[in-house]
Amino acid sequence: MEQRKAVKVHDLYKDFGDVHAVQGVSFDVHAGEIFGLLGPNGAGKTTILSMLSCLLEPTQGDALVMGHSILSDPMAVKEAIGVVPQDIALYPDLSARENLIFWGKMHGMRGPALRQRVDEVLQITGLTDRQKGRVNKFSGGMRRRLNVGVALLHKPQVIFMDEPTVGIDPQSRRNILDSVKDLNEQGMTVLYTTHYMEEAQELSDHIAIMDEGKLIAYGTHDELVQIVGEQDRIDVSINAESERVIKQWQETEGVHKVSADDGTLTLLVDDSNIVLPRLFESATQAGVRITSVEIQEPNLEAVFLHLTGRALRD
Amino acid sequence: MTVHLRKAIDIALKDLIRSFRNVFGLVMMFLVPILLTAMMYFAFGTLFRGDGGFDVPLTRVQVANLDVPSPQLGGFSAGQILLEFLQDESLSNLLQLSEAPDEASARGAVKNQTADVAIIVPSNFTAAVLEPEGTARVTLVQDPTLTLGPSIVKGLVSQLADTFSGAKIAAGTVARQFGQRGVPVKPQMFQDIATEYATWAAEVGQARADGMHPALDVQAPLSKAEPRSWGAEVAGLVMVGMMIFFAFFTGANTAGTIISEQENGTLARLFTTPTTHTAILGGKFTGVFVTVLVQVLVLTLLTTAIFGVHWGMPLTVSLAVLALVIVVSGFGVFIISFIKTTRQQGSVLGSVLTLAGMAGGLFTTSLSTPPRAFEIIQLLTPHGWALRAWKLALAGASAGEVALPVVVLLGMGAVFFAIGALRFRKRFA
Amino acid sequence: MRVIDLTLKDLRQLVRDWKTAFFMVAMPIVFTLFFGLIFGGQGGETDPRLPVAFLNNDCSSSLSASLLSLLEASSSIRPVVLDEGSAQTASELVRDGERAAALIVPVGFGQAAERLASGEAIVDGQPMKATVIVDQHQASGQTAVQAIETAVTRLLSAAQIARISTEAFEASTSFEDQAARQAYQDQALALASEAWREPPLFVTVEKAVVESELQESPANAYVQSSPGMIIQFTIHGLMMSGMIMVLERKTGTLRRLLTTPMTRAQIIAGKTLSTLVPVLVQETLLVAVGQFVFGVDYLREPVAVVLVMVALALWVCSLGLLIAAFAKIEDQVHTWSLVAMFVFSALGGAWFPLEITGKTFAAIGHLTPTAWAMDGFQNIVLRGQGLTSVLLPVSILLAYAVVFFALAVWRFRFE
Repeated sequence: MEQRKAVKVHDLYKDFGDVHAVQGVSFDVHAGEIFGLLGPNGAGKTTILSMLSCLLEPTQGDALVMGHSILSDPMAVKEAIGVVPQDIALYPDLSARENLIFWGKMHGMRGPALRQRVDEVLQITGLTDRQKGRVNKFSGGMRRRLNVGVALLHKPQVIFMDEPTVGIDPQSRRNILDSVKDLNEQGMTVLYTTHYMEEAQELSDHIAIMDEGKLIAYGTHDELVQIVGEQDRIDVSINAESERVIKQWQETEGVHKVSADDGTLTLLVDDSNIVLPRLFESATQAGVRITSVEIQEPNLEAVFLHLTGRALRD
Repeated sequence: MTVHLRKAIDIALKDLIRSFRNVFGLVMMFLVPILLTAMMYFAFGTLFRGDGGFDVPLTRVQVANLDVPSPQLGGFSAGQILLEFLQDESLSNLLQLSEAPDEASARGAVKNQTADVAIIVPSNFTAAVLEPEGTARVTLVQDPTLTLGPSIVKGLVSQLADTFSGAKIAAGTVARQFGQRGVPVKPQMFQDIATEYATWAAEVGQARADGMHPALDVQAPLSKAEPRSWGAEVAGLVMVGMMIFFAFFTGANTAGTIISEQENGTLARLFTTPTTHTAILGGKFTGVFVTVLVQVLVLTLLTTAIFGVHWGMPLTVSLAVLALVIVVSGFGVFIISFIKTTRQQGSVLGSVLTLAGMAGGLFTTSLSTPPRAFEIIQLLTPHGWALRAWKLALAGASAGEVALPVVVLLGMGAVFFAIGALRFRKRFA
Repeated sequence: MRVIDLTLKDLRQLVRDWKTAFFMVAMPIVFTLFFGLIFGGQGGETDPRLPVAFLNNDCSSSLSASLLSLLEASSSIRPVVLDEGSAQTASELVRDGERAAALIVPVGFGQAAERLASGEAIVDGQPMKATVIVDQHQASGQTAVQAIETAVTRLLSAAQIARISTEAFEASTSFEDQAARQAYQDQALALASEAWREPPLFVTVEKAVVESELQESPANAYVQSSPGMIIQFTIHGLMMSGMIMVLERKTGTLRRLLTTPMTRAQIIAGKTLSTLVPVLVQETLLVAVGQFVFGVDYLREPVAVVLVMVALALWVCSLGLLIAAFAKIEDQVHTWSLVAMFVFSALGGAWFPLEITGKTFAAIGHLTPTAWAMDGFQNIVLRGQGLTSVLLPVSILLAYAVVFFALAVWRFRFE
C-alpha cells in the first residue's frame, strides 16, 4: 500500500528580484516520517519552509500539506502545521504560561482544553516550575524549549523545524534531537532543515539535499551514500596554504574530488590505502607537511562534495 | 467570523498587558504628564493671590529725575512728586527703587541688567505741568525680555502723568471757555481747579488701587464651567496640552509594536497560525485604541483628584475623549506604516510628534490671541482640533458646541487609519 | 587620533541612515520657519493692537460716544464695534480668544457718569457701571483691562472737568438759562474729551534692544522667541546622543572597543564628539536661518555666539551621556530625554519667560543651564551686549557640562 503523503511539493520556485532562491524543487514527505532538508546556508531551505508555512507566496508551483494547497487553502494548511522558527519567536515580557496560552488561542484553542494542553506542554518542555517566569529571564536553552513547545500546543499533524539546533550547546542539542524522535514516535510528521550532516543522518527517514536553490539529491541515507559508491573520504590537515598542493592532488590518480577549507582538505578517492602514499609524496615534493589524516566511510558530506565540489560546511 | 473576532481581541489583550507591564511606557503615559502639569501648576498656580493681585518678582527701577523744579512755586517739582509716589510704602512689594544721577547711567543700568526698568523724567516735566501749552514725555526704558514688571511700572507712571494732564486740561478748558465768553479768569482759580481736580483724581486712583473702579465692573467671561481656583484652571489647560501630546506618543509607540514584533519574529509566527491578517492587524489596532483610552481616562481622573480640575459637562467630555482616542489611534497607525525599523521609529517619531504638537499649538497655549496664520496651521493638524475640542469642554461647552471639532477628529482618525491599514495590508500581503 | 577615527565612523553611520540624517537637517529649518511664520506674522499685521469688543447700548449719550474716541486713541488696544449682540455674544468672543476683552456700555451710562462727576446721589442705590469682560489671567487681558480703565478714567475726567468748568463759570457769572448751562457743559465735555486724545504729559516705552542695521524692527517678536527656540531644539539633540551610546552598548561593539588599545576615557571622548558634531550642525542651521531669513543679528558678535553655541552643545551632550550611562534600552533613553527636554525648557524660560511664573519658580529656573544659555543669547541679540556679557553664562554651562561628564564617566557601563 502506498504510504500517505503528508507533504507534496511540486515544482516550487521563488524569486526575489534577480535572485532565484528556489528553483523547481519537488519532493514528497510521507506521513509519520522525519524528513531532512539538508544543505549549506543560502541553499533555500528556509525559503521552502516559509512557503510551506504560507508566509511566502511561491513564484511558481504549489504544495499540498495534509491534502490542502498552500495557494488556495492556506488556512487549512495552518490548522495542520506547527512551526518552530530558527530564531526564538516569543514575547519576552510575558511568562512561559502566558506565551503558551496566547499562542494556543491563536491556534483556535480555548477554555479548559487549552489550559490542560498548556500544562502538558509545560511538562514536555520541562518548564512546569518556571511557567510563571518571564521569558526575558530564561536561559537560551529554556527559550528554545519553549519555542518548540509553542509549536506543539495544538497537536499538529505536521511540524516544520527550521535549523532548531543552530548556535546552541551540545547538551541542548541532544535534548532537541531526542524530542524530535519522541514527537515522531507519537505519530507526528517532521520536516526538519539543517546544515549539519550528522543530524540529518541520525534523524531522517528520507533526506533531500539542496544547494543554490535546487534539489540535487533525494532518498534515504543509504541511497544517497550509494551516489558516491565505494569512494572513501579523506580529511587531511597540512601546515601550509592549501593552494600549494591542491592542484597536484587534483591531478593525482585515484582522486575524484578535492575541496579546501582553512588548512583542511577533503578528498574523495577510490581507495584510501592506495591514494594516500601518492598524496604524501606530492606533499613532500611541494614542501608541505601533512599534520593529520582522517579516513571516513562514505557519508552525506561526501555525497555533497561529490555533487557540488564543495564541502557542506563551506 | 466570531473566531477571528475573538482572536483579534486576544491579540489586543496581549498587547495591552505588554503595554502596562512596560515600566517606562507607564512613566511616559502617566507619570511624565502629571509631573509636568504639577510643575506648571507650581509655576503659575501661585502667581495670583486670592484678592486678584499679583505675586511677581520685585521689579528693579532706576529713576533719572532730570526735572527742573519751579523757582516761582517755591521749588515745586512734578518729578519729585512722581518719585515720592513710586517710593510709597504700598508699592514696596512691587518696586525696588533707586535713583540714577543721569539718563545715561539709568539706561546703562538696564543694559547691564542691574535694573529692569529705567524711568527718565525730562527736565521740562514741571515746566510742562505749569505752562499752558507745555508738553513733556516720560520715557520708560525696559529690559526687552520682561513684560509684567514693566507694564506695572508703566501703569503707575501713566496714572500720575494723567493726574497732571487732567489738571492741565481742566485749566485749559476753563481758560478757553471763559475766553470765548469774555469772562476774565481770576489768578487763584487755576490753583483751585488744579487742587480740586487732583483731589478727585486721587480718590479715583485709590478706588482703582482697591480694585473698585467707580465706573467699571470687571467680570470674567461667562462660562458654564463650575467656578474653580486659578490653580485648577492652569492645571486643566496645561494637562490638555500634555494629554494630547503624550496620547499621540502612546498611540504611535503602541502601533510601533508591529515593527518590533516583526523584528523579533513573533509577527511572522502569528502569520503561520490560522488567523487572518485582518484579525491580526485588527487586534493590534484595537490594542492601540484601548491603551490610549485607558491613558486618557486615567489622566483626566487623576488631574481631577490631584488638582481639582473640572473637565466640563459629562457628555461633552465623553465626546472629546472618544474623538481624541480615535484620532490618536488612527494617526499612530498611519505614522508607523511609513516606518521600517525600531531604530527609525525612535528618531522619526520624536521629531514628527514634536513638530505636529507645535503646529497644533500644544506648546503655545499662552498665546491667547495667536496670529491668523498660526490658527490656520493649527487647523491642519489633528493636535490643533483636539486642543480646540478639549478647551471648549473645559470652558463648559455643551455637546452641540463641541460637535464640529469632534466630527473633524473622527473623520481625520478614520482617514489616517484607512491609509495606515491599507499600507500594512500591502506590506504583509 | 583613534578618538577621531571613532568619531568619523559614527558620523559615517549617521549619514548613511538617510531618514535620520534628513530629519536632523530638515527639522531645525522647518522649526524656525514655523515659528518665524507665527511670530513674524504679528509684526506684519496692519494694526497690532489688541482687539477689544465694544458694545454701546447708550447711543444717545455724547459721553458714551466720546468713550469710543478715547479707546481709539489708545496705543495698546483697538475697539471693534459690535453692532448688535448681547453681553453673552461679547463674553463668548472673549472666552474663545477672539477678543482680548469686551466693554459693554449700558443704557444710561452717560447720564450716570455725569451724575458721578457732579457728586449727585447715585441712582437706585447702585452706580451705573460699564462692564468689562476679560480673562485677567492672560497677559493680553491684563493689558486690555489696564487700557480700558485708562480710557474710562479719562472719560470720567472729562466729565469732571466739564463740571468744574461749569461751576467755575457759574461762580464768576451766571447762565442765561438751563439750556445755556447745558450747552456750556456739553462744550466743556467735548473740549476735555478732545484734549484727552493727546494728553500733554505722556509716557513712552522703549525696549533696551540692540541697534542693528539688520534688524528692521528690533523689538519684533521673532527676535524675542529665537533664543528660546534654539535652546529647545538643541536640547532635543539629547535623544540622539543617548541613543548612539545605548545602541552601541546593545550590539556589543562598545565592549569590543574595550579590547582595543583605547582607554575608556578615549572611547567616551570619541563617542561624545560624534554627538557633538550633529548637535552643533543643527545649532548652526538654526542660527543661520534666524540670521539670514528673519534678520536676527547673531553675527554682530560672532565669537560670543559661537561660544554660547559650543557651551550649550557640550552641556547637552554631557546630559545625553549621563542618560546613556543609566539607560539600558532605547525606550529608556527616549523617556528620560523627553523628560529632561521638557523640564529644562520650561525651567529655563525657553517656553515662557520666568518673570511670569512667580518668585520661587523663577528662582529655581535661574539655576538651570538653560536659563543661562537664554541669558547668553539674549545678551547678544536682544540687549546688544558684547563678548564679555556671555563669559559668565558660558562658564556656568561649561561647569555643568564638566560635572555631568564626570558623573557619566564614573557611572558608565560598557556592557
